[in-house]
Amino acid sequence: MTFQKDIGRDCPRAWEAMPWVLQGDASPVQGAWLNMHLAECQACREEFAQQERLRAALALSPELDIDAEAGLARLLSRIDEADPQQAAPSRRAASSHWMTRALVAAVLVQAVGIGVLGIKLGGDGAGHAAAPVYRTLSQEAAPAAPGSLHVVPVATLKVAEWNTLLRQYHLRVVGGPNDVGAYTLVSTDGNAPTPQTLQGLRADPGIRFAEPVTDTP
Amino acid sequence: MPPEPMSEAELDADAVDRMLLQRMSAGDRAALAVMYRGYHGRLVRFLSRLTRRTDVVEEAINDCFWIAWQKAATFQGDSRVSTWIMGIAYRCGLKALRQHGSEPVDEDSVPEDRTPSHDPGEDREMRDWLGKGLDRLSADQRVVIELVYGIGHTLDDVATIMQCPVGTVKARLFHARVKLRNVLPGLAGERTINREIVP
Repeated sequence: MTFQKDIGRDCPRAWEAMPWVLQGDASPVQGAWLNMHLAECQACREEFAQQERLRAALALSPELDIDAEAGLARLLSRIDEADPQQAAPSRRAASSHWMTRALVAAVLVQAVGIGVLGIKLGGDGAGHAAAPVYRTLSQEAAPAAPGSLHVVPVATLKVAEWNTLLRQYHLRVVGGPNDVGAYTLVSTDGNAPTPQTLQGLRADPGIRFAEPVTDTP
Repeated sequence: MPPEPMSEAELDADAVDRMLLQRMSAGDRAALAVMYRGYHGRLVRFLSRLTRRTDVVEEAINDCFWIAWQKAATFQGDSRVSTWIMGIAYRCGLKALRQHGSEPVDEDSVPEDRTPSHDPGEDREMRDWLGKGLDRLSADQRVVIELVYGIGHTLDDVATIMQCPVGTVKARLFHARVKLRNVLPGLAGERTINREIVP
């Protein structure tokens, strides 16, 4: 007996309905009709059995065993590398505005305080030349305040990127981060950072704020 | 056959997907991670019908979610999110194949640990049976078979995913089924099929 001989008028209709009945997407009427047809048509019954086996075989777990977590980690790295500023575009847009203002205000207040303190100490130093000067170890190691910078990196800046920036502009960290996340930087060669350095830092997307300490009123 | 409306479970799944997509459009990486993990197995199986090269499948999956991350805000909602994702994955799979060549990996080059650890004899037999059949199909035919029988998409969904007319999908499905029937040893012996039953 061949399949060809078994084909009846309803067989093409049954053939077409099989995948959707198997999926459970066919209407109850269509499902009932197919069952009736299968009961009286051996060829379609065999075809339907093979379709069921095909579906069962396709439902087996894939032979390729690929680690989802490793793939996800690579995807997130790719997103980071492409543009760290795009990590959370909308939220960042909404929150960065007031956050930047707050940080700028806080750093300015701090810079003013340091300036006033510096003037006061300078005045005191002139009148008390013989008095012993108290210094901490960190003050000993760091160059004088003039020429240093206050810099606030963005929260998403990676350590490697931060280090690259420091190398690029020949800077090193001598203090911070303070309460508002500002670092104090000085030139590695002991000279005051150039205006180009300041300009470059301000233009860098990884830097939220950069101001010279001595230029602040 | 007109497609049935989505079931309640499908509606729920799509609602969750839409919510995740909305969060992704706002830059929520946690939502991206949920979506990625949720679709990973399905995409591995789907893309493995295009190629057995692990590197190509991995690349296509990550390209797919890279695009989904960037385009989340542009999702129009004309289809289910799953249909949208599968369509992106299909195009990424084709692109990766063009870039890396479509030659399948040699069986011997597949590491032992790449095969499922639990593979009872019956499953192995069924895999071999399926593999023999799928090897005789074109890539497009394998994709249609996977989308319809493996994942359970409708003809309209498959047409959207493959960006072709429904008639083309029907033809691919029909020819794939005829080939499978002629190639695979059936439950009651081998037969040939008459073209007269073309819908």
